[in-house]
Order: sequence, then structure tokens, then C-alpha cells
Amino acid sequence: MSLEIRTLSEIMNPPQTADSPLSTQEYFVNMGPQHPATHGVLRLVLKMDGETIREVIPVLGYIHRSIEKMAEYLHGRQIVHLTDRMDYLSALANNWAVSRAVETAMGVQTNPRIETIRTLICELQRVQSHQLWWGVLGLDLGALTSFFYGFRDREEITDILEETTGARLTMNYIQPGGLMFDLHPNFVPRVKAFIKYFRPKLDEYETLLSENVILQERLRNVGVLSAEDAIGYGATGPVLRASGIPLDLRKQQPYGVYDQVEFSVPVGTVGDCWDRYWIRIEEMRQSLGIIEQLIDNIPDGKFMEMKPAAKLKLPAGSFYLQIETARGSLGVFLQGTGEDIPHRCHFRSPNFNNLWSVTKTAVGGKIADLVAIVSTLDLVIPDVDR
Amino acid sequence: MQIWSPLYRPSIWSFRTSIGNREVGMDMWQVTTLAARIQESLLNQDFVRAGIFLGGGLAATVAAVSLLGLVLVYAERKVAAHFQCRLGPMRVGWHGVLQPIADGIKLFLKEDIIPTEADRLLFVLAPFFCILGMFLAILVLPVSPEIQIIDLDMGVIFLAAVSGFGVFGVLLGGWSSNNKWSMLGAMRAAAQIVSYEVSLTLALLVVVMFSGSLKMSEIIQSQAAGWWIWRAHGVGLVAFLVYVIASVAELNRAPFDLSEGESELTGGFHTEYSGLRFGLFFLAEFINMVLASAFAATFFLGGWMPFHLGDWQAFNAVMDRIPPLLWFVGKTSFMVFLFMWFRWTFPRLRVDQLMALEWKFLLPVSLVNLLVGAAVVLSGFYFFS
Amino acid sequence: MFNRQGIKQQQVKVGGKQLTIIQAPRPQRTSQVATVWGALCSLWNGMRVTWRYFSRPSSIVTQQYPENREHLKIPERFRAQLRLKYDENGEHNCTGCKICDVQCPNASIEVIDMRGESGKKEIDRFVWRMDICTFCNICVMVCPFDALEMSNEFESSVYDKRLLTYQLNRYAGPTKKAFEKIESSADRERLKVGRQPFEAPTPLGIAAGVASGPGVSVAPPSTMKKDDI
Repeated sequence: MSLEIRTLSEIMNPPQTADSPLSTQEYFVNMGPQHPATHGVLRLVLKMDGETIREVIPVLGYIHRSIEKMAEYLHGRQIVHLTDRMDYLSALANNWAVSRAVETAMGVQTNPRIETIRTLICELQRVQSHQLWWGVLGLDLGALTSFFYGFRDREEITDILEETTGARLTMNYIQPGGLMFDLHPNFVPRVKAFIKYFRPKLDEYETLLSENVILQERLRNVGVLSAEDAIGYGATGPVLRASGIPLDLRKQQPYGVYDQVEFSVPVGTVGDCWDRYWIRIEEMRQSLGIIEQLIDNIPDGKFMEMKPAAKLKLPAGSFYLQIETARGSLGVFLQGTGEDIPHRCHFRSPNFNNLWSVTKTAVGGKIADLVAIVSTLDLVIPDVDR
Repeated sequence: MQIWSPLYRPSIWSFRTSIGNREVGMDMWQVTTLAARIQESLLNQDFVRAGIFLGGGLAATVAAVSLLGLVLVYAERKVAAHFQCRLGPMRVGWHGVLQPIADGIKLFLKEDIIPTEADRLLFVLAPFFCILGMFLAILVLPVSPEIQIIDLDMGVIFLAAVSGFGVFGVLLGGWSSNNKWSMLGAMRAAAQIVSYEVSLTLALLVVVMFSGSLKMSEIIQSQAAGWWIWRAHGVGLVAFLVYVIASVAELNRAPFDLSEGESELTGGFHTEYSGLRFGLFFLAEFINMVLASAFAATFFLGGWMPFHLGDWQAFNAVMDRIPPLLWFVGKTSFMVFLFMWFRWTFPRLRVDQLMALEWKFLLPVSLVNLLVGAAVVLSGFYFFS
Repeated sequence: MFNRQGIKQQQVKVGGKQLTIIQAPRPQRTSQVATVWGALCSLWNGMRVTWRYFSRPSSIVTQQYPENREHLKIPERFRAQLRLKYDENGEHNCTGCKICDVQCPNASIEVIDMRGESGKKEIDRFVWRMDICTFCNICVMVCPFDALEMSNEFESSVYDKRLLTYQLNRYAGPTKKAFEKIESSADRERLKVGRQPFEAPTPLGIAAGVASGPGVSVAPPSTMKKDDI
């Protein structure tokens, strides 16, 4: 496979060719960095022919905060709090990834209570993340009301998490060696009440959007990402599973207590926006199932296995592990030199790889299709740029 | 009352068919229009009275439009909020009733930006085209037997002619902004409005066939025995649905708000507009919504005509106790609410699906509906015929 | 269409692991008439959902913030502002060991220590810069003396970010434990050196012409009255 590298100016100013009188004029439009549908400061340069997209060129870096470089000057406990700011919708899973990497490197064992709470709280956040995605999908497709319904139900989880973790978005709850706090006494009853509350609401989501003929028409056979392309672009999470590949790190490389719970992996058949849509809806149901299985079986134990201020000395060597966030697999690479700060820290963020599939799937579609595709990829731009 | 006017010539369009129970209505409702009053005054050489009618009518129309704009902004925000489990504006005045005034003041005081590369003349003119189309349609709007500006013999044709006028404003606004997003929005609006005009007019034609007249007042009076939406065995209902869908598209409201397409085109044709000009676009959009609702009420729900059931005199007499203005306001409000309900429930269509919906679905349906309607009219096979 | 009976489940083996997959259903098209009817029904069902909320004002979730402050519930763990814990005598636990200073990822804490009368290290100033704090709670977690806590006073907005520099200790001097060994309250008070929040000259104090320096205190935003807003 040959690789062609072009700069943006080369693409936008192609060499002049003789125009036939019937040719239409192609033009470029900047979608973003300030555009309502790019979910942040993503810039997509679109080469357009009328309403049809001929080429999509993502331009990144508008919210680059050099988290990886900063991490080279911070020790494990401090890196964790930076990961809140990467994929802010699954902050807990990001915390867990770094904590697990540090724990694995240092050979720290955690007790079942810690692992159960981590699993439980990450699944809650997966539901929360998908709720927000569902609302924003409606917003992108023009149904503003679903946005408010999604946020209303998300608020329930946010309140539960706030009570336990002390923050609403950047939680910094899962620490190397354990958790920052123990579970709040209200946590278990409130989660049970939430599941009771949210199951009918999920059916309502289906009535409001999934069954809606306009939504189906907007999503079906739009942005088809074949299994080969999905693997080629390194897509993970619901985007990969929508293309028919049942890769779920919770099943393949179980961490936490995922090997002790029963759940199914929703998989798409075509790889279009509809499959990605339905998989996320189904993942919410599966996550609720996981929470239901775990909520009554939280074992006793300590919530922190290390001394809080203990030095986190990373042994010399390279460490890499992945966990499944709401958007795909987040990989953490740490290179230790025997000191507490890593020599190199790298995050393999799911959104970065998922984003590039847009360059393939959106070509030939309309602008509205691009909006639907970007929305069903569920991008969080701070995670792309880091 | 004998009226002579170039506009009041009996035209070939106002032929009378032998069907339809028009006599009931004719006896009961005397229609007086503003134009007729002015003409009567002029015939009596009473120029002062004519001037008062002219000036008063003009002032009342402008005042009503402005007031309606304010009320609708408030209503839209409140209705949207309650659909979305919110409260909506609550801060300015009791339950935020003064919020639209605050919004208006804000729009007035905002900096009026004209992009450097924009075509100044067209950019400035565009909002007024929208407003103009709106005022022209108000001309033939029958609000009650006493409140109507002019009752043209060819009212329906006039309406069909001017209802497409707003597209000039949208098109010019989007084009002159010299912005690619605005341009896309304008092109979408042009294609959409021109297409949906077809089925809109075909839906109106069904009612014209039933009532046998192009005159607004006669269309309303032909519904004295019952509204056309239910009298014609589903033909009226289908025509009503087609009209509603087409008029939502005409209005550029969700789910057909492609020319604004907030999440796609960042505002579409009015991306570059700010301040008062933006406010004018908004006003035109809201008033057009009321007009579409009012004409839907006129054609399918009997306009200001109370709800009657055939010759059931006892029932009809009770219904007649409610003044026609109230009936009109009620029906129009219902339709406006329906439009808002659509907007806050449905996702937006894609541009090619929009065209497919019109040309592949609505147009055949309305054509077939027209044929069925013709058969119904010829056979006289409808309720209270 | 989306009744869950029609959804296929099957067992597959991927990467050596047995797992159950659920295949996403595809919206099926049957006949033209059924499609149109189904489409209209789906739109009507969606409208019923929104109508249900419209017709029930009890489903409104809006909180009208400044009005509902009296019964606003903030979870006790909510991290709004850093502060030193004080007991009933107004004494704190901070020894000035600087662990929080070292562990803070953003250098938003600066602890300045001094030699006390006994020759031991004591705290002089505990400076916390709220403007660069990320509220990660690491300082509270690592404090070996349990001297810090996160308070719930979330209304911390000011018009100048320079006002977000706080000095957390009200006095400089020994800790609570050290005071416990001292019997006479006169001695206790003598050992305390007053450190009002913002007693130190803050940049804004100079800019606004407010007299600042020892003995003059500018009220910090955290003590704002409820009527101020």
C-alpha cells in the first residue's frame, strides 16, 4: 500500500487542468473549528461539488494541550487527573486506564472491592456517555428535544457520581492503588432507583428517535464503514463493532470484574450510521444489566491499597495496556526508568482513530450525511488532540 | 351592497357549481371587507371616512403583525421549553412574558454588520422581500366576517402567487452574503419552496373544487354544513395532511428547516445577518407560520365558520353563540401549536430525501387525491351534500 | 419493529473467548402502503412522547438557581474550594510539611514555612491559587495530618482572576496538636500570628486603590453574603 502525503495547501490549490464545459466547479468549505456539528473545535476541510462531498480533510490541533508531554513531568497519581480532560465523557475509564498501567508496572494488587466499584462506576459512566451521545445525535439531526431528554437523564447519573466522587465531570476518582473515596452510602440505593427510572426512559428514547422514520432514513446506509476499512483505520469500540467485528476488550481481555458478569456484545451487520446508533442504544441496556448484576454483590474491603502519598516508582521498562471506554479502546503506554515520572507517556485514544474513518465514509454523501456520520462516531475532540 | 371595482368584476373563475350547500351560509353571514368599506365611502364622496379606514387598516395590520411576532416568540419559547421538560423564559416579567420585548430591544441595539464582500443593496433588501411576501398574503386573510382586507374573486390564486414571494428574500439574502454556507442554504430554500409549492397548490385545489369558488369568503361559507377536512370521505383529510406537510416545508420550519439547518449550515441563509435585519427574517418566519395556520384553518377547518353539523339547527345554533373571531383564533392557534409540536419532535430530513418526498410521494398522492376529489364532487357523494 | 423478540443472539468465539453477540436489527421495508402507514405511526408515536411531557408540568426539571439557593443540596464531597480544617478553637492541623505543595500537579499550592518559637517548622502562609487549580483532590488525599478539606462553597466567581489567590491559614504558628500541650490560653494566643485571608497585598488591592497590607483585610469572595448576587 503506497502512502501519499499532501499538505493542505497542495490539496486546496491543485494543478490547473483543462475544464470541460460540462464540469461543475468544486469548492472548499471549512466545517469548523467553530461549527455546531463538529462537537468542539474540529476542523474539517470539505471539498464539495454542490451539496456532495468529494473529500474530507480533518485538520487537528485546535485543542491540543500537550497532555502527553506534561505527563512526562508528572508522576502516576498526577497523570490520572490529566486524563479527566482527554475524553471528558468517560473520565473514569481514562483514570482507570492510567491507574491500571501504573499498578501493572509497579505490581500492585487491588482487592475485589476496588475492582468491583471500578467496574460498576465505569459502566455507569458508559451509560451516561451514551445518553449524552443520544441527545447530541438528535440535536445534530435537527430534533432538539432529544438533547434535553438525554441531558435530563444524564443528570441523574451525574448526581449519583457527584455524591461518590465529589465532581461532576472531571472526577479523578480512580487512583493508582485504589479509589479516592469509598462508595457513598447513598450510592447503592440511588443506582437501583436510577435503573428503575431509566429502563422506561430507554424505551421512550426508542419511540422518540429509533422508530422515527426520518431518523431511520437519515441513518440507514449512510456512512458505510466496511470491516476491512474499520480495521485499517484502527477504529475501535462501537464504530468497529458496528462494522461486524465483535471486538470488545471487556470480553477479550477482561479487566476489573468483567469476567464475572454476563453481558452480550451488540454487533452491526452493515457498518452504517444506523448500526452505530443501535449498538450504542443496546450497549446502554447491556451496561444496565452489568450494573444490576454487580450492585448487590460489592465485596467488603479497603478502598485504597497503597499509602495515599506513597511514591509511585515506575520500574524500568515499557508498559502498555488498553481498556474499553465508551468510545473504544484507550491504550496507555508508559516507559519507566526507575523514577516516579515516566520517560515517555503515550495515549492511544479511540477518538483519534475513529475520526479518520470519516475521510472514507463521508465521501460521496451530502453535508447532512457528514453531520450524521460525525455524530454517530461520537467524537470528543479534546481526546483527538490531547 | 353593489360594488363596482376592477378587482370585484365577476370573473370567469367564480362560476357557481350546483353542488354544495352554500345557501345556509349565505343567509347567515354577511361578509364586509375593508376594501368594501373604503369603496363604499368613496362612492358616497366621504373621503375622510375612507382615509380613516385606509389609515386605520394599515396601522392595525402593522400593529397586529408586530404584536403577533412578540406573542409568537414567547409562545414558541414556552412551548418548546415545556416539550423539553424546561420552564423557558422566567426572568423578565411574570413568567417571562416581557422576554420578547427584551429580545426585541436587544435586536434593535445590536450592531448591524454587513460583510465587506457582501452585495450591499441586495443584502439590505433581502429581509424586506420576506416581509413583503408576508404582508401580501395578509391581504386576503379572512379573520372574521367583518375583518378582512380584501376579498378577491381569485383569492386562492393570489395566495398561491404571493406565498412564494418570501423565497426571493431567502435566496437574495443567502446569495448576497457571499458566504458559502449562506449560499448553500439559499439554494436549498429555493429548490425546496419551489417544489413544495406544487403540492401545496394541489391540496388547495381540492378545496376549491369542493367549494366551487376561488373566493375566500365563499370557501368559508361552503363549509357552513361542516368542514372540508371531514366531509369528503378522507379526500379532505389527505389534502389537509399534504397541505400541512407542504406548508411546513414552505415555512422552512423543522423538520424541513434545511435552509437554516443550524447543525449543518450554521444558520444557513441568515448566517451573516445580525441585529434588526435578522429580526425581520425572524418576524417574517413567525408571521408566515401564523398565515399558513390561518389558511389551513380557512381551507380545511372552516375559517371563522363555527362548527356545524349539516342541518342540525339546535347544534348549529349553540355553536353560533361563539363569535367567529374566536373560532378563527382557536383554529389558528391549534395549527400553530401543531407546527411547533412538529418542530420540537422530528429530526430534519436530508436534502435529497426532501426532494424525493415531494416529487415521488406528495405530488403523486396529491394528484391522485385531486382525481378522487373530482369524482367525489361530481358524484356528490359527501356528507351534507 | 424494535420489539426485542426479533433480535438474534448467537455465540461466537473471538480471540479465544466465547461471547454472545446481538445483531443489530435493520429497519425492514415491506410494502409501500405499510411503509407509509408505519411512517405516519412512527411520527405520531414520537409526537405522543413529547406531548406526554408537555401535558405534565410535573416533569419539568429546571432548577431556578439563585431562587433555590436555600434548599439547594450540594453533596458533602463536592470539591468547590480548598480550605484548612479548623476546630472550635480556630486551630488547624497544618505543619507546613509541603507534601501537598509537592504533590500538586499544577503548582497551585504554595506552602511557606517558618521556624517557630520552639525551633520547629511551622506554617507561615498557605497560598492556594484557585485560578490554576483543577480540583483533583490530591492535596487532600495525600495530607498526612488531615489538615485540608474541600468545601462546598461553589459560588466563587469574581470579576478579576487575581482575586482567586487565597491564603488559607488564618494564623501562622503551631498546629492544633502543639497547642494541646500548652495550658494557658494567653500563651496560645501569643503564639498565633494573625493571617486573615487576603491580608497580604494582593495585586487587585493595589490596582483598585484599596488600602492593603497587614491589618487590613479585603473580604474574600468565599465569604460573600447571600444578598450579594
